[in-house]
Order: sequence, then C-alpha cells, then structure tokens
Amino acid sequence: MPSTLGYAIWFLATLLELSVVVCAVAKQSFRRYFFLNLYMAASFLVSVGRYLVLNQFGQQSAEYGYFYFYSDTLLTIFLYFALITLYIHVFDELKAEKYVRLAAVILLGGTALFSYSVVQQSSHRMLTHFFFELSQNLYFVGLVLTYLLWGAILKLRETRTRLVQLVLSLGVYFSLFAATYALRNMFPAWQVALAYSAPILGCLLPLSWAYAFLRHSEEARLVPARLAVAAQ
Amino acid sequence: MSRKAAVVLLAMIVLVGAMGLKTVVTAHDSGAVMMANGGAPFPTIPLPGDPAPKPKSAAPVPAK
Repeated sequence: MPSTLGYAIWFLATLLELSVVVCAVAKQSFRRYFFLNLYMAASFLVSVGRYLVLNQFGQQSAEYGYFYFYSDTLLTIFLYFALITLYIHVFDELKAEKYVRLAAVILLGGTALFSYSVVQQSSHRMLTHFFFELSQNLYFVGLVLTYLLWGAILKLRETRTRLVQLVLSLGVYFSLFAATYALRNMFPAWQVALAYSAPILGCLLPLSWAYAFLRHSEEARLVPARLAVAAQ
Repeated sequence: MSRKAAVVLLAMIVLVGAMGLKTVVTAHDSGAVMMANGGAPFPTIPLPGDPAPKPKSAAPVPAK
C-alpha cells in the first residue's frame, strides 16, 4: 500500500485534475477545449476508480493491475486526442483541420499496428500486453508530436497566450517524464529516489492547465519581443 | 506528391522517430515503465509481457 505521502500527492493530483474542468467551465472554455477537459475529467474518474479498486482488492491483486493498465491506455488515448485538438487550434487559420485529422488517425493506427506486431509473438495475456505496449508507444508519439507543435508555434509566431501555455505545459510534462524514465532505466539504484517523481510530475500538468484557464482569457495575446522593445 | 500522400509520409516519419526515441531511451532497460497518468501507486503484479520466472533450482544434469 502507498505511504501517507503517496496518498497525499495522489489526492492533490486528483483535486487538480478536477480543478482544470471546473476552471474551464467557469471560463466558458469547456467546449472549445473539449478533449483536454475530457482527459482531465476521465483522469479524475479513473483516480477515484483506482482508489476504490485498491482499497477493495489491494495493490498486489490482479484486479488492481488490470484496472490500472487498461485505464492507463484509455487515458493515454484521450491525451493523444487532446494533443490533436491543440494541433487543430494552432493550424485553424491554415484550414488544415482535415489533414491534421487524417494524420492523427494514420498515426494512431500505425502505433496500434506497431504495438500489435511487437506483442503478436506473446500468446500469454496478449490483449493486456497489447494495451500496455500501445500506452507506452503513444507516450513517445505524443512526445514527438508535442515537440513538432512547439516548432510550429514558433514558426507561425503564435501569440494566443492560453494556447501557447497549454502546449508548453504539455511539452514540459512529456519531457520530464521521458527524462525520469530514462534515468530510471540508466540508474536502477535511483528507483527509490525517483519513486515519487511520477506522482509529483502528475500534479504539474493539471496545475499548469488550470492556471492557463483561470489566468488567461481566450483573447489574451503575447506581445512579440520586437514590438515590446519598440514600445519602450 | 499530393497533400494526402505528404500527410501519410509525415505520419510515418513521426512514428519512426517516436519508436526510435523509445528504443534509445529504453536501451538500458531495467524494467522501469512509463506511466504518466495520475498519482496512483503502480501495481505490484508482473508486468504484461514479462517473461516467465526462472526456476530457482538448477537444471538436472543428464546422466552420461
């Protein structure tokens, strides 16, 4: 069972996930960023579900394990759709929504096919292994897509403050997770020290998104550096 | 090249890049997994796809 600190961080992350949806509804941005809010609402419900299953069956039970892995895959797919929604917002002036959707479907299908090809040799618990592999692979696809979106934002000189902050938060979140993952693989002795890193990082994304919804309106614009200098 | 073909090509490049990055990151695989959704504790059951546990006793030596 997790420690008191582990429970406290988990509870905080769950509250922050709910706060994103509340802030979006309060600022009338729920429908505009529907998949972001769907991901956060699903994260909140999954956290509650995990807590109930954990209390009922325990951390070592197969029930908790299966619930954890399947719900993680579901959340990762929602996060992928949230990222695609950000792409659509960034490219909306180019009228490229059709192509973004096509690329998203191909990429998701390709990732699923790749995951299947990896696990097809394994006859033991193949379905669970497939969902686990798909979840892992989608993280890395999301990471690459977020960096590409960063590049697109810089190239297109995007100035919508809220959109920029949402994308930057996601990029930092993915990058920190990948860095932690790499550190845990390279230095297995650090496992204990890094045990709390994932739950703490899990608090940062909802915190940043809630701040973006609360602090910045949809009309807020960043002042480009050259204009800011000229105005002084 | 049509726009749709370019989109397909771009998607494939992203997929190859992502899987390449995963291969690099997991080059020193120690069994750590990347689970980024929420603060719930990680299950302690064997991971899906883990190989079967090795038997503790030594394999019997065939008689000559």
